[in-house]
Amino acid sequence: MNPTDVPCLCRPSDLLLICRPYMAVLALLIASGTAALAQDASQKNSPSSTHATHLLGFAGAPDNASGTLSIEGDALQFQKSGKPAAEVKLASIQDVFLGDQSKQVGGIPMTLGKAAVPFGGGRAVSLFAHKKYDTLTLEYVDANGAFHGAIFQLNKGQGEIVRNELVAKGAQVSNSDFESSKQTAEASSDNK
Amino acid sequence: MTTSKPWSFALLAATLSAFAIAHPAAVSAEGAAQWSVQVRKVDPGDINLASSFQIAIYENLLDQLSKTKQFKQVLRDGDRKASDVADLLVLKTTVEKYTAGSETRRAVTTVSGATKLTVRSQLCTLDGKVILELTVNGNVRFMGSNLRATHNLARNVAKTIKSTRLPEPTSGTLSKAANSISSDDIVVVELR
Repeated sequence: MNPTDVPCLCRPSDLLLICRPYMAVLALLIASGTAALAQDASQKNSPSSTHATHLLGFAGAPDNASGTLSIEGDALQFQKSGKPAAEVKLASIQDVFLGDQSKQVGGIPMTLGKAAVPFGGGRAVSLFAHKKYDTLTLEYVDANGAFHGAIFQLNKGQGEIVRNELVAKGAQVSNSDFESSKQTAEASSDNK
Repeated sequence: MTTSKPWSFALLAATLSAFAIAHPAAVSAEGAAQWSVQVRKVDPGDINLASSFQIAIYENLLDQLSKTKQFKQVLRDGDRKASDVADLLVLKTTVEKYTAGSETRRAVTTVSGATKLTVRSQLCTLDGKVILELTVNGNVRFMGSNLRATHNLARNVAKTIKSTRLPEPTSGTLSKAANSISSDDIVVVELR
Protein backbone atom coordinates (compact mmCIF):
# COMPACT_ATOMS: atom_id res chain seq x y z
CA MET A 1 0.00 0.00 0.00
CA ASN A 2 1.29 3.25 -1.09
CA PRO A 3 1.44 5.67 1.69
CA THR A 4 0.30 8.42 -0.65
CA ASP A 5 -3.10 6.64 -1.19
CA VAL A 6 -4.10 7.04 2.39
CA PRO A 7 -5.84 10.33 2.94
CA CYS A 8 -3.40 12.21 4.95
CA LEU A 9 -5.08 13.79 7.96
CA CYS A 10 -1.92 14.80 9.54
CA ARG A 11 -1.38 17.70 7.21
CA PRO A 12 -2.74 20.91 8.74
CA SER A 13 -4.36 22.14 5.58
CA ASP A 14 -6.42 18.94 5.17
CA LEU A 15 -7.45 18.95 8.78
CA LEU A 16 -8.67 22.49 8.35
CA LEU A 17 -10.70 21.50 5.30
CA ILE A 18 -12.47 18.69 7.13
CA CYS A 19 -13.19 20.73 10.26
CA ARG A 20 -14.42 23.79 8.39
CA PRO A 21 -18.19 23.07 8.71
CA TYR A 22 -17.84 22.34 12.43
CA MET A 23 -15.87 25.51 12.95
CA ALA A 24 -18.50 27.50 11.13
CA VAL A 25 -21.23 26.07 13.39
CA LEU A 26 -19.09 26.78 16.46
CA ALA A 27 -18.49 30.36 15.35
CA LEU A 28 -22.20 30.81 14.75
CA LEU A 29 -22.98 29.49 18.22
CA ILE A 30 -20.44 31.78 19.85
CA ALA A 31 -21.72 34.77 17.94
CA SER A 32 -25.35 34.13 18.86
CA GLY A 33 -24.42 33.49 22.49
CA THR A 34 -22.49 36.74 22.66
CA ALA A 35 -25.39 38.62 21.13
CA ALA A 36 -27.83 37.10 23.65
CA LEU A 37 -25.54 37.98 26.55
CA ALA A 38 -25.13 41.53 25.30
CA GLN A 39 -28.89 41.90 24.95
CA ASP A 40 -29.40 40.53 28.47
CA ALA A 41 -26.82 42.93 29.87
CA SER A 42 -28.39 45.89 28.12
CA GLN A 43 -31.79 44.89 29.51
CA LYS A 44 -30.32 44.71 32.99
CA ASN A 45 -28.67 48.08 32.66
CA SER A 46 -31.60 50.05 31.33
CA PRO A 47 -34.97 48.45 31.75
CA SER A 48 -37.69 50.45 30.09
CA SER A 49 -40.16 48.73 32.37
CA THR A 50 -40.13 46.28 35.21
CA HIS A 51 -42.70 44.20 37.01
CA ALA A 52 -43.60 45.67 40.39
CA THR A 53 -46.21 45.51 43.11
CA HIS A 54 -47.59 48.82 44.28
CA LEU A 55 -47.91 48.54 48.06
CA LEU A 56 -49.36 51.96 48.83
CA GLY A 57 -49.32 55.67 48.19
CA PHE A 58 -48.95 56.12 44.42
CA ALA A 59 -51.80 58.45 43.49
CA GLY A 60 -54.31 56.82 41.18
CA ALA A 61 -53.05 53.28 41.62
CA PRO A 62 -54.81 50.72 43.83
CA ASP A 63 -52.94 49.36 46.83
CA ASN A 64 -51.29 45.93 46.63
CA ALA A 65 -51.66 45.88 42.87
CA SER A 66 -49.25 44.13 40.54
CA GLY A 67 -48.33 45.90 37.37
CA THR A 68 -45.59 47.46 35.33
CA LEU A 69 -43.39 50.26 36.58
CA SER A 70 -41.81 52.21 33.78
CA ILE A 71 -40.21 55.52 32.97
CA GLU A 72 -41.95 57.12 30.02
CA GLY A 73 -40.43 60.41 28.94
CA ASP A 74 -40.36 62.68 31.97
CA ALA A 75 -42.75 60.63 34.10
CA LEU A 76 -42.70 57.51 36.21
CA GLN A 77 -45.68 55.33 35.34
CA PHE A 78 -47.34 52.45 37.06
CA GLN A 79 -49.84 50.48 35.06
CA LYS A 80 -51.96 47.62 36.23
CA SER A 81 -52.91 45.44 33.29
CA GLY A 82 -56.09 46.66 31.67
CA LYS A 83 -56.20 49.83 33.75
CA PRO A 84 -55.11 53.36 32.86
CA ALA A 85 -51.60 54.22 33.98
CA ALA A 86 -50.95 56.37 37.03
CA GLU A 87 -47.98 58.66 36.67
CA VAL A 88 -45.82 61.15 38.49
CA LYS A 89 -43.48 63.66 36.90
CA LEU A 90 -39.84 62.89 37.57
CA ALA A 91 -39.25 66.53 38.47
CA SER A 92 -41.72 66.24 41.34
CA ILE A 93 -39.87 63.32 42.93
CA GLN A 94 -37.99 64.61 45.94
CA ASP A 95 -36.28 61.47 47.12
CA VAL A 96 -35.92 57.80 46.38
CA PHE A 97 -35.00 55.19 48.98
CA LEU A 98 -34.09 51.58 48.56
CA GLY A 99 -34.79 48.84 51.02
CA ASP A 100 -35.31 45.14 51.11
CA GLN A 101 -37.64 42.77 52.83
CA SER A 102 -38.23 39.08 53.10
CA LYS A 103 -41.78 37.94 52.58
CA GLN A 104 -43.58 34.65 52.84
CA VAL A 105 -44.77 33.50 49.44
CA GLY A 106 -48.14 32.03 48.58
CA GLY A 107 -50.33 34.47 50.44
CA ILE A 108 -53.35 33.38 52.47
CA PRO A 109 -53.90 30.03 50.65
CA MET A 110 -50.35 29.02 51.47
CA THR A 111 -50.74 30.17 55.08
CA LEU A 112 -53.92 28.14 55.49
CA GLY A 113 -52.28 25.16 53.83
CA LYS A 114 -49.33 25.39 56.22
CA ALA A 115 -51.68 25.61 59.16
CA ALA A 116 -53.40 22.44 57.99
CA VAL A 117 -50.20 20.41 57.90
CA PRO A 118 -50.20 18.12 60.98
CA PHE A 119 -47.53 18.07 63.66
CA GLY A 120 -46.45 21.61 62.89
CA GLY A 121 -45.02 20.63 59.55
CA GLY A 122 -46.19 23.90 58.09
CA ARG A 123 -43.63 25.73 60.17
CA ALA A 124 -40.87 23.80 58.47
CA VAL A 125 -42.34 24.79 55.12
CA SER A 126 -42.27 28.44 56.25
CA LEU A 127 -38.52 28.21 56.65
CA PHE A 128 -38.16 27.84 52.91
CA ALA A 129 -41.30 29.53 51.62
CA HIS A 130 -39.99 33.06 51.67
CA LYS A 131 -38.49 35.33 49.08
CA LYS A 132 -36.45 38.51 49.22
CA TYR A 133 -37.69 41.63 47.52
CA ASP A 134 -36.46 45.15 46.99
CA THR A 135 -38.62 48.01 48.14
CA LEU A 136 -38.51 51.31 46.32
CA THR A 137 -39.83 54.23 48.33
CA LEU A 138 -40.58 57.48 46.56
CA GLU A 139 -41.28 60.87 48.04
CA TYR A 140 -42.94 63.33 45.71
CA VAL A 141 -45.15 66.41 45.74
CA ASP A 142 -48.30 67.05 43.77
CA ALA A 143 -49.41 70.22 42.00
CA ASN A 144 -50.56 71.76 45.33
CA GLY A 145 -47.23 71.09 46.97
CA ALA A 146 -48.73 68.30 49.07
CA PHE A 147 -46.30 65.62 50.14
CA HIS A 148 -46.91 62.05 48.96
CA GLY A 149 -45.07 58.82 49.54
CA ALA A 150 -45.29 55.63 47.53
CA ILE A 151 -43.85 52.19 48.10
CA PHE A 152 -43.21 49.61 45.42
CA GLN A 153 -42.04 46.05 45.82
CA LEU A 154 -39.71 44.78 43.11
CA ASN A 155 -37.78 41.64 42.45
CA LYS A 156 -34.40 41.45 44.12
CA GLY A 157 -31.88 43.59 42.25
CA GLN A 158 -34.44 45.59 40.28
CA GLY A 159 -34.75 48.37 42.86
CA GLU A 160 -31.30 49.75 42.34
CA ILE A 161 -31.65 49.62 38.56
CA VAL A 162 -34.89 51.61 38.64
CA ARG A 163 -33.41 54.04 41.12
CA ASN A 164 -30.32 54.59 39.00
CA GLU A 165 -32.48 55.21 35.99
CA LEU A 166 -34.59 57.69 37.94
CA VAL A 167 -31.45 59.51 39.03
CA ALA A 168 -30.10 59.51 35.47
CA LYS A 169 -33.33 61.08 34.23
CA GLY A 170 -33.35 63.85 36.78
CA ALA A 171 -35.13 62.63 39.91
CA GLN A 172 -33.72 64.07 43.12
CA VAL A 173 -32.03 61.71 45.52
CA SER A 174 -30.52 62.64 48.86
CA ASN A 175 -26.78 62.09 48.59
CA SER A 176 -26.34 60.47 51.97
CA ASP A 177 -28.79 57.72 51.16
CA PHE A 178 -27.32 57.26 47.72
CA GLU A 179 -23.85 56.93 49.19
CA SER A 180 -24.97 54.51 51.87
CA SER A 181 -26.75 52.34 49.34
CA LYS A 182 -23.66 52.38 47.15
CA GLN A 183 -21.55 51.38 50.10
CA THR A 184 -23.96 48.63 50.99
CA ALA A 185 -23.88 47.40 47.42
CA GLU A 186 -20.10 47.50 47.42
CA ALA A 187 -19.89 45.73 50.74
CA SER A 188 -22.24 43.00 49.58
CA SER A 189 -20.27 42.56 46.36
CA ASP A 190 -17.10 42.33 48.44
CA ASN A 191 -18.66 39.65 50.55
CA LYS A 192 -19.51 37.67 47.47
CA MET B 1 -108.98 71.51 77.00
CA THR B 2 -107.76 74.11 79.41
CA THR B 3 -106.44 71.44 81.77
CA SER B 4 -104.58 69.59 79.01
CA LYS B 5 -102.59 72.69 77.96
CA PRO B 6 -100.36 72.81 81.05
CA TRP B 7 -99.68 69.11 80.66
CA SER B 8 -98.65 69.55 77.02
CA PHE B 9 -96.40 72.47 77.99
CA ALA B 10 -94.86 70.38 80.75
CA LEU B 11 -94.29 67.51 78.35
CA LEU B 12 -92.71 69.84 75.80
CA ALA B 13 -90.54 71.41 78.51
CA ALA B 14 -89.47 67.97 79.71
CA THR B 15 -88.61 66.91 76.19
CA LEU B 16 -86.67 70.10 75.57
CA SER B 17 -84.76 69.75 78.82
CA ALA B 18 -83.96 66.14 77.97
CA PHE B 19 -82.53 67.28 74.64
CA ALA B 20 -80.75 70.14 76.33
CA ILE B 21 -78.96 67.59 78.51
CA ALA B 22 -78.15 65.46 75.50
CA HIS B 23 -77.40 68.53 73.42
CA PRO B 24 -73.78 69.33 74.44
CA ALA B 25 -72.50 65.92 73.42
CA ALA B 26 -74.24 66.10 70.09
CA VAL B 27 -72.95 69.59 69.41
CA SER B 28 -69.47 68.58 70.50
CA ALA B 29 -69.43 65.56 68.23
CA GLU B 30 -70.67 67.61 65.31
CA GLY B 31 -68.33 70.43 66.27
CA ALA B 32 -65.39 68.06 66.15
CA ALA B 33 -66.40 67.14 62.64
CA GLN B 34 -65.88 70.72 61.67
CA TRP B 35 -62.17 70.63 62.26
CA SER B 36 -59.87 69.90 59.40
CA VAL B 37 -56.59 68.18 59.97
CA GLN B 38 -53.24 68.37 58.29
CA VAL B 39 -51.03 65.34 58.71
CA ARG B 40 -47.36 66.18 59.00
CA LYS B 41 -44.52 63.92 57.87
CA VAL B 42 -43.53 61.33 60.43
CA ASP B 43 -40.60 62.31 62.59
CA PRO B 44 -38.40 59.25 63.20
CA GLY B 45 -36.82 60.90 66.24
CA ASP B 46 -33.75 59.02 67.39
CA ILE B 47 -35.03 55.76 65.95
CA ASN B 48 -33.40 54.31 62.88
CA LEU B 49 -36.64 53.65 61.07
CA ALA B 50 -36.67 52.72 57.39
CA SER B 51 -38.09 55.33 55.04
CA SER B 52 -40.67 52.85 53.84
CA PHE B 53 -42.08 52.62 57.38
CA GLN B 54 -42.19 56.39 57.77
CA ILE B 55 -44.00 56.77 54.48
CA ALA B 56 -46.34 53.90 55.26
CA ILE B 57 -47.30 55.43 58.62
CA TYR B 58 -47.94 58.79 56.95
CA GLU B 59 -50.04 57.39 54.12
CA ASN B 60 -51.98 55.06 56.39
CA LEU B 61 -52.74 57.92 58.80
CA LEU B 62 -54.19 59.95 55.93
CA ASP B 63 -56.24 56.99 54.83
CA GLN B 64 -57.55 56.03 58.26
CA LEU B 65 -58.34 59.60 59.32
CA SER B 66 -60.34 60.09 56.13
CA LYS B 67 -62.27 56.92 56.89
CA THR B 68 -63.36 58.18 60.31
CA LYS B 69 -65.21 61.10 58.65
CA GLN B 70 -64.52 63.06 61.82
CA PHE B 71 -62.72 65.82 60.00
CA LYS B 72 -64.02 68.10 57.31
CA GLN B 73 -60.81 67.75 55.32
CA VAL B 74 -57.72 65.63 55.76
CA LEU B 75 -54.78 67.45 54.21
CA ARG B 76 -51.27 66.39 53.43
CA ASP B 77 -48.09 68.00 54.64
CA GLY B 78 -47.16 71.02 52.52
CA ASP B 79 -50.57 71.31 50.91
CA ARG B 80 -51.07 74.96 49.89
CA LYS B 81 -54.84 74.60 50.37
CA ALA B 82 -54.22 74.45 54.12
CA SER B 83 -53.76 78.23 54.25
CA ASP B 84 -57.40 78.68 53.24
CA VAL B 85 -58.79 76.31 55.83
CA ALA B 86 -60.28 78.09 58.83
CA ASP B 87 -60.12 75.55 61.63
CA LEU B 88 -57.11 73.45 61.10
CA LEU B 89 -55.47 71.02 63.43
CA VAL B 90 -52.03 69.67 62.77
CA LEU B 91 -51.22 66.04 63.52
CA LYS B 92 -47.58 65.58 64.45
CA THR B 93 -46.29 62.06 64.83
CA THR B 94 -42.99 61.08 66.40
CA VAL B 95 -41.71 57.53 66.53
CA GLU B 96 -40.81 56.54 70.08
CA LYS B 97 -40.08 52.86 69.80
CA TYR B 98 -39.58 50.38 67.00
CA THR B 99 -38.85 46.70 67.14
CA ALA B 100 -38.01 45.21 63.79
CA GLY B 101 -39.72 41.90 63.21
CA SER B 102 -39.46 39.07 60.74
CA GLU B 103 -42.32 37.55 58.83
CA THR B 104 -40.46 34.27 58.52
CA ARG B 105 -39.80 34.08 62.27
CA ARG B 106 -43.45 34.77 62.92
CA ALA B 107 -44.49 32.04 60.53
CA VAL B 108 -42.06 29.52 61.99
CA THR B 109 -42.30 30.22 65.70
CA THR B 110 -45.61 32.10 66.10
CA VAL B 111 -44.41 33.65 69.37
CA SER B 112 -41.43 35.65 68.17
CA GLY B 113 -40.64 37.98 65.29
CA ALA B 114 -43.35 40.54 66.00
CA THR B 115 -42.94 44.00 64.48
CA LYS B 116 -43.78 46.65 67.08
CA LEU B 117 -44.19 50.36 66.66
CA THR B 118 -44.95 53.01 69.26
CA VAL B 119 -45.57 56.61 68.30
CA ARG B 120 -46.50 59.79 70.10
CA SER B 121 -49.10 61.80 68.22
CA GLN B 122 -50.06 65.37 68.97
CA LEU B 123 -53.02 67.25 67.62
CA CYS B 124 -52.10 70.91 67.71
CA THR B 125 -53.76 74.12 66.66
CA LEU B 126 -51.93 76.40 64.26
CA ASP B 127 -50.69 78.56 67.14
CA GLY B 128 -48.99 75.52 68.63
CA LYS B 129 -51.43 74.67 71.39
CA VAL B 130 -51.57 70.93 71.93
CA ILE B 131 -55.18 69.85 72.30
CA LEU B 132 -54.63 66.12 72.27
CA GLU B 133 -51.59 63.99 72.93
CA LEU B 134 -51.60 60.25 72.66
CA THR B 135 -49.18 57.37 72.63
CA VAL B 136 -50.29 54.56 70.38
CA ASN B 137 -48.94 51.13 69.51
CA GLY B 138 -49.16 49.21 66.28
CA ASN B 139 -47.97 45.65 66.11
CA VAL B 140 -48.08 42.71 63.80
CA ARG B 141 -47.71 39.46 65.69
CA PHE B 142 -48.84 36.67 63.44
CA MET B 143 -50.08 37.11 59.91
CA GLY B 144 -49.11 39.85 57.52
CA SER B 145 -46.01 41.64 56.35
CA ASN B 146 -43.93 43.93 58.56
CA LEU B 147 -45.50 47.00 56.97
CA ARG B 148 -48.85 45.80 58.29
CA ALA B 149 -47.77 47.24 61.64
CA THR B 150 -48.03 50.73 60.16
CA HIS B 151 -51.60 50.06 59.07
CA ASN B 152 -52.55 48.80 62.53
CA LEU B 153 -50.84 51.79 64.12
CA ALA B 154 -52.67 54.31 61.94
CA ARG B 155 -55.97 52.56 62.59
CA ASN B 156 -55.36 52.78 66.34
CA VAL B 157 -54.44 56.47 66.11
CA ALA B 158 -57.60 57.23 64.12
CA LYS B 159 -59.73 55.15 66.49
CA THR B 160 -58.33 56.96 69.53
CA ILE B 161 -58.86 60.39 68.00
CA LYS B 162 -62.40 59.45 67.05
CA SER B 163 -63.22 58.30 70.54
CA THR B 164 -61.86 61.50 72.06
CA ARG B 165 -64.04 64.57 72.41
CA LEU B 166 -62.24 67.44 70.75
CA PRO B 167 -62.90 71.04 71.80
CA GLU B 168 -65.13 73.05 69.56
CA PRO B 169 -63.53 75.14 66.87
CA THR B 170 -63.43 78.81 67.78
CA SER B 171 -63.95 80.53 64.45
CA GLY B 172 -67.16 82.48 63.72
CA THR B 173 -68.17 80.32 60.82
CA LEU B 174 -68.04 77.25 62.96
CA SER B 175 -70.01 78.86 65.74
CA LYS B 176 -72.67 79.57 63.17
CA ALA B 177 -72.50 75.95 62.09
CA ALA B 178 -72.93 74.81 65.66
CA ASN B 179 -75.92 77.14 66.08
CA SER B 180 -77.53 75.80 62.96
CA ILE B 181 -77.08 72.31 64.32
CA SER B 182 -78.79 73.27 67.56
CA SER B 183 -81.69 74.85 65.69
CA ASP B 184 -82.00 71.68 63.65
CA ASP B 185 -82.25 69.77 66.88
CA ILE B 186 -85.13 71.96 67.98
CA VAL B 187 -86.86 71.27 64.71
CA VAL B 188 -86.56 67.60 65.46
CA VAL B 189 -88.15 68.17 68.85
CA GLU B 190 -90.99 70.04 67.24
CA LEU B 191 -91.61 67.25 64.80
CA ARG B 192 -91.91 64.78 67.63
